[in-house]
Amino acid sequence: MIDSIELVQIAAYLGAAISVSFASLSAGYGEGYTAGLANFALMRQPKTSDQLSRTMLVSQAVTETGAIFSLVISLLLLFGGLDVEGGIVKAAALLAGGIAMGLGSVGPGFGSGYAGGYACSALSRMPTKGNEIMGNMLIGQALSQASSIFALVVALLLLYAIPEFSHLTLNQQIMRSVSYLGAGLCIGFGTFGPGTAIGFVAGKASDMIGRYPRERTTIMRTMFVGAAVTESTAIYSLVIAFLLMYAL
Amino acid sequence: MDFSLIVRSAAFLGAGICMGIGALGPGIGQGFVAGKACEGIARSPENSALLTRTMLLGQAVAESTGIYSLVIALLLIFTTG
Repeated sequence: MIDSIELVQIAAYLGAAISVSFASLSAGYGEGYTAGLANFALMRQPKTSDQLSRTMLVSQAVTETGAIFSLVISLLLLFGGLDVEGGIVKAAALLAGGIAMGLGSVGPGFGSGYAGGYACSALSRMPTKGNEIMGNMLIGQALSQASSIFALVVALLLLYAIPEFSHLTLNQQIMRSVSYLGAGLCIGFGTFGPGTAIGFVAGKASDMIGRYPRERTTIMRTMFVGAAVTESTAIYSLVIAFLLMYAL
Repeated sequence: MDFSLIVRSAAFLGAGICMGIGALGPGIGQGFVAGKACEGIARSPENSALLTRTMLLGQAVAESTGIYSLVIALLLIFTTG
């Protein structure tokens, strides 16, 4: 039988890889989408190049957030001085932490990129309303990135704050390991939809502010309501993940 | 049997997953940027210098997440086991 310390190390390495790879996937795609639409907007309005470059870079920086969270979780898994005792339960918790953060930052990466791209597109149509469009874009991206913060919370709890398990029998330990993996998958997949969709809402809202600047308050109000309803399923996932981690 | 070799092999498997999946997104994203830049240059060739500059700027930022994956993959290969 493989030694428990080695099992935990294997789980930590695989968790670190999953965490940073999935986050890179979505953030890289999102940043590219923003830059692409910014380029296209620049073709329409070459005079706004400073403003467009600034909006593009701010948007890309926000889109990067999820990837940076994942990088932090990966580095903690590799070098964070984690307790390698504990066998299967600890191994499952570390792997689940990596999965939670990796999958959890996929949706926000896509969503923030979409929001940034449409903000750049709107800016080229209505350069005089640049500040309003950029403000709307940042609010929308922050709402979208809320999902990746849920994933970060769950991942940090799985890394550092799992309940005491040494008194459990082997069967109970297996059950608890599986429930940790379930919690990681739950918050990972559960934030995918809300993260992407809130970015979609924010992108369309920025686009429409660029077309009808006078309707800004109505558009933003609708965006908030829509984003709040969309966020609800991410909160359900967070609740289920906490139940799986602490209530069994 | 030496189990530390299994740990190393897990780290290598992780490095492969990490760089493989991590390269997907930046690749697609940078390609999209270049495509849109070509479209823009075709429609307004007089702005080609400006568009090329913005394209490279955008691609450089999109590359950063690929570099994160590369760093973690190299760390997994050389500092573990």
